[in-house]
Amino acid sequence: MGVNTDKVLVDSLVRLSPLSLRANPVMLIVELTFFIVAAMAVYPQGFTGVATVGDRTFYAEVAAILLITVWFSTLSDALAEQQAKNTATSLRKLETEVMTKKLVRHDWSRDVVQVPSSEIKKGDLILLEKGDLIPIDAEVLEGIAMVDESLLTGESAPVRKAPGDALIGGALVISDTLTAKVVANPGESYINQMIKLVESSKRPKSPNEVAVTTVLIGLTAIFSIIIVGILGLSVELGLAADLSVLIALYVCLLPTTIGALLPAIGLSGISRLYARRIVAKSGKAIETAGDVDVILLDKTGTITVGNREAMEFLPLGGHTEKEVGEAAFLSSWHDDTPEGRSIIRLAYDKGFVPKELNSLALAEFYDFSAATRTSGVKITRATSFSLRKGRGEAVRFRRKSSDTSSSEDEADAEIEIIKGSPDSVKAKLVSPPPDYDAVIEGVSVKGETPIAIERNGEALGVIRLKDILKAGIKEKILGVKTMGIRPVMITGDQPLTAKNIATEVGIDEYVPRAKPEDKFLIVQKEQAQSRIVAMIGDGTNDAPALAVADVGLAMNSGTEAAKEAANMVDLESNPAKIIEVVLLGKQLLMTRGAVTAFSIANDIAKYFAIVPVMFAATLPQLESLNILHLGLHSAVLSALIFNAIIIPLLIPLAMRGVAFKPSSTMSLFLRNTLIYGGGGIIVPFVGIKLIDVLIGAL
Amino acid sequence: METTTSGKKAKRALRPIIGLGLLSLLVCGLFFPLFITGLAQVLFPYQANGELVHLKGEVVGSNLIAQNFTLPIFFQPRNESQSASGLDPDITVQMADAQIGRISNATGIPASSLQQVVNENVDVEGRLVELQYVNVLTLNIQLINEYQSVYSAYG
Amino acid sequence: MIDAIQLLYVIGILGSAILAGWQLAPYITRVYSRAPGRLDRVLNPVENRVYRLLGVDSQGGMGWKEYFFAALAVNIVQMVIGFLILTNQDILPLNPQHFSGLSWDLALNTAISIATNTNLQHYSGEYALSYFSQMTAIQFLQFTSAATGICVAVAFVRGLTSGTKDMGNFYVDFVRTITRILIPLCLVASVVLVWLGIPQTVSGYVNAGTVEGLVNGASQVIRIGPVASLVSIMQLGTNGGGYYGANSANPFQNPNPATDIFEIFLMLLLPTTLCFVYGEVLGKKRETRPILFGAYILFAIDLVIAFIPNTALGPGIETRFGGFFSAFWTVVTTAVTTGSVNSSLGGEHPLAILAAFMGMLIQSTPGGKGVGLMYMVMYVVITVFIVGLMSGRTPEYLGMKINSRDVKLVMVAFLIHPLIILVPTILAYASGAVAAIGVPTTTSGFTEVFYEFTSAAANNGSDFLGAQANSVFFNVATAVVMFLGRYAPIGVLMALSGSMMGRKRSTEVGLRTDSMIFTLVLVASILIVVVLTFFPFLALGPIASYFQGA
Repeated sequence: MGVNTDKVLVDSLVRLSPLSLRANPVMLIVELTFFIVAAMAVYPQGFTGVATVGDRTFYAEVAAILLITVWFSTLSDALAEQQAKNTATSLRKLETEVMTKKLVRHDWSRDVVQVPSSEIKKGDLILLEKGDLIPIDAEVLEGIAMVDESLLTGESAPVRKAPGDALIGGALVISDTLTAKVVANPGESYINQMIKLVESSKRPKSPNEVAVTTVLIGLTAIFSIIIVGILGLSVELGLAADLSVLIALYVCLLPTTIGALLPAIGLSGISRLYARRIVAKSGKAIETAGDVDVILLDKTGTITVGNREAMEFLPLGGHTEKEVGEAAFLSSWHDDTPEGRSIIRLAYDKGFVPKELNSLALAEFYDFSAATRTSGVKITRATSFSLRKGRGEAVRFRRKSSDTSSSEDEADAEIEIIKGSPDSVKAKLVSPPPDYDAVIEGVSVKGETPIAIERNGEALGVIRLKDILKAGIKEKILGVKTMGIRPVMITGDQPLTAKNIATEVGIDEYVPRAKPEDKFLIVQKEQAQSRIVAMIGDGTNDAPALAVADVGLAMNSGTEAAKEAANMVDLESNPAKIIEVVLLGKQLLMTRGAVTAFSIANDIAKYFAIVPVMFAATLPQLESLNILHLGLHSAVLSALIFNAIIIPLLIPLAMRGVAFKPSSTMSLFLRNTLIYGGGGIIVPFVGIKLIDVLIGAL
Repeated sequence: METTTSGKKAKRALRPIIGLGLLSLLVCGLFFPLFITGLAQVLFPYQANGELVHLKGEVVGSNLIAQNFTLPIFFQPRNESQSASGLDPDITVQMADAQIGRISNATGIPASSLQQVVNENVDVEGRLVELQYVNVLTLNIQLINEYQSVYSAYG
Repeated sequence: MIDAIQLLYVIGILGSAILAGWQLAPYITRVYSRAPGRLDRVLNPVENRVYRLLGVDSQGGMGWKEYFFAALAVNIVQMVIGFLILTNQDILPLNPQHFSGLSWDLALNTAISIATNTNLQHYSGEYALSYFSQMTAIQFLQFTSAATGICVAVAFVRGLTSGTKDMGNFYVDFVRTITRILIPLCLVASVVLVWLGIPQTVSGYVNAGTVEGLVNGASQVIRIGPVASLVSIMQLGTNGGGYYGANSANPFQNPNPATDIFEIFLMLLLPTTLCFVYGEVLGKKRETRPILFGAYILFAIDLVIAFIPNTALGPGIETRFGGFFSAFWTVVTTAVTTGSVNSSLGGEHPLAILAAFMGMLIQSTPGGKGVGLMYMVMYVVITVFIVGLMSGRTPEYLGMKINSRDVKLVMVAFLIHPLIILVPTILAYASGAVAAIGVPTTTSGFTEVFYEFTSAAANNGSDFLGAQANSVFFNVATAVVMFLGRYAPIGVLMALSGSMMGRKRSTEVGLRTDSMIFTLVLVASILIVVVLTFFPFLALGPIASYFQGA
């Protein structure tokens, strides 16, 4: 995101108007003091008794620095605002990113126009061809196609979609062509919400921002009383303190640094999140992310890459590895998923190419269904095959077998091969072989997925599928745990499989055999124990859970319902990013805390710079407190300049956020307290003295 | 009707407030100090009545507070305005030592004897807190008792 | 600096206060949780009669407002009683010296002063108050203000305690505080004090002769009275108003080093105990740590500052206490905002005065019993809020998220102090009231006036001016300051507790407030936010005096 320097400069100057400073009381007061000191420079005679220095150049210098202080603050606002505008601009582009084929007429003609998905309305008919991304939730009117919903449902097998079926926005058509009717408006309200969030000048402050502002106002009020008190006493006791010096002390004590940077910190948090292609609907959601106690992680997509890979064929009973491999080959032939392809590849590599291969073109396939948790194929050997066409009428053909090599051929026998979850397959068996459970468990124990295969009610063997962990996921999980956050893995897998994957990545808690609806219960259970829960979701099933979760990150590829329910949306649909969201939330809070602590700690040095010289004329003994050895003019100017210049120096910190490595809450606290609290005490002593030396040299 | 109800309400609200005020006055302001007075008079009558010192059957002071000694024959306390209370009954051993010469001249009591009186009367509790001081009245009473010929008018 | 033996005394006295507090806390906690105890057989029937007499439903709980206003109303009634007794003591019994009634402004000042636990004394008791007044105005109000302080603190802690639905019942708490805590403790303390040499009598002053009077007829008045019972509550209740004008510098109120040490112990006892009670009532004993350690670290800092110079036995210092025990007392009496003195502050080194100021400005080192605890919890809350963000979580205390309402209340409480110290100080100069009582316009003069209002605002009570400030302006101004300094922060902090009561709590541990790191940060923030705020004024007063002398 480039920065338009001219625009920012102009904007920062426009913001100097007291009217636009209303939202920032600290800076408004600084500007007010500028007018007072400027008046002293113009007409010092009007300030009898309190203009004891009487040097108009000095007053002019003080006034100038005061104005620059305010300007630095508006500059920081303008910069953050510019960044936000860039974000909004690029958000708007988002809506035009997907081009959709809209049917011109509601009839059987296939005349289409390409329109941006943002222009699609509820009720429109769209044409979806192989390779198209479904732009929005719709319902199939015509045609049958395979759709990859793996990132939405976590189920890696493609789903067959027939008329009447619901299509989820974000899913990918991987075969055939569909006509569908759009059932939702592309409100994409989350994007609109975010655009509003970053563009509105009356951006709602997050609760924490409000509380910090309250502290700043409180401190301002206290220092106002103190300064008026000193002024009053100075007059009553004849201490001859100069008003401009008092004002300098006042402005130095005011929390100007955090006051100037507070708006930018909040806004840049949203921008930083967007730089990671995550859209937040409110500033609050980001802060809440910092408070998360529990993260619910979907195994598929977050911990493992969506696809598993076939590693081995394990025969059961008296069957051979070859038989298993060939059956697997047959049943996976029509399976276009990475898993299916990996089975074919493994079988091919091992030379298990079945002789029935040629019959496959005419075989009947059973798609994977979540209900049966199986898929399969039915081959009527050599003589008959079924063909599904159009709306599913089966036409039967008879054909002579081309294969004569097989001696144990059972002519005209049908072969039905079913593969799937061991439980479901077991239910189909006439009598499960004695080693069935042992082999299955042997696979599960290693954290791998067993797929059982049966042929005509007889168990053949097991395909061992291995989950592939996402790169770097172990480190991320460790980081999360180090920060005291409990990761909980949610998976549809068998308990043993789940346990092994959990152990492998270092997760102590997991929920196996979980259905999407279970997430809602898990969120509620954790919240009942007063924990802050973050979760990811995409399917409509996830919507209730996303809505109740404290931080709900929806995948952009997910359903509209999920996106509406969540308070953040990841445009790249990468569920592992939930961890980054949490880190960002922490970073935002830390940055706000660090600048606040730094700002307040700065006061010590400023007291020691100005108080000793403030009453120099009447209480010379206070010179002993002047540990920085500053003259009156130099003390005031150095402290004020430091106070001003620290604002632009910290703008990068405010915009980028404090750097940190995942570690425990207490060590983060200790580290930041030492750096920003301790630094806040020491840095101004050094800085003010340095500026003093520079002023002396000039 | 309404006023009566609210009047009743106010009465009910005021009862514990005023009642507690008066009751606490009785318990804390009268019962407690009078009870302690009785107890003290029975258990420690000497302390309870101000550790009074008698000479010739008359009360001539309290061990706890300073009294005026103007004559050179007596140890003299700090000036009234020198201490916080104006009643400091003690002087440091140094201050006592500084007066030995004067008393010896005025009375003829050997300085060494006076020194011994001072040394014997260095406050024990004071020593425990590293302070060396003596009670002026105690010193003078001892002088009166030990040197009756000198202090015949007092003993 | 102090020597090894003196250091041992400091450690020994502070250590025994901590030890005794630790031992006493479970008992005090049981008093407020109304757990069965040994005294029940005797006291239950008495207390139940009292509740019936007062028409109090002893089982009924109160919200923070109800509790606070009940406390305020009872206190005001007690002030009025005290005021009436003081102005009418000439017609009341037990006035053997025939003292006349106090002027309205002095009586107002005195009644408010004692009832607010301040005990600023613009009078000299032995020259102005009858025995009856000493007992029924001073001692009485010392008991009730001490009880009120403990009650509101316990109610405040109840509000922060998980699972509570109300703050308890003020009337019940108040009665039980008197019957089960203050009277038993004061009974023991009084007897010990008499045994150690403090008078306790209602016979009149002794018109005695002197030794020299045997010859020249000189006489003296020995001003005794019911001193020990008053001293017991004034020290235990961190009230500080002495029987005598010179307070615990007067030998009848503090006759020897033993009573001095015992009285220091009494002052420290309840404020220290309440630090432990805090953890006990919360059901999180570890949360006592930041409160107790934070208070004692700040206390130690004050002591170090006061002990840097060797306070000499000069004017204003009693021989039997010497410089060390005078400086020690001065720090203790301000650290727990008792306000009794065993020296005259004019005799103290400017650094000891600086340390005294710190105690009064912070008000919780460990502060007056009750209120000091509330202040420290407030400091914890605001520190958690300011620095807690740096741990990367929304700040939580006791698992409760700190919201902007909490912060607002804390900031209001913070504002009260500078406001009620500075405004009247400037007014005192501007109105000529300072010149009228003969205080010079010098740094030491400023110290005296600034100390007066700081002490009044902090409900401390020690002062430079004493009866010198018995002018209408100072009587009324400090009365207003004492009243606001007492009830405004209590009200605001009760509201804070009320707003946190029943709030959702997280079970996860974010920033650990019971850690030593946090305690140190707490101390640093208190020094920066509280003490540094007043740095310019301290520079004008004790610091300027210090460098002038140096």
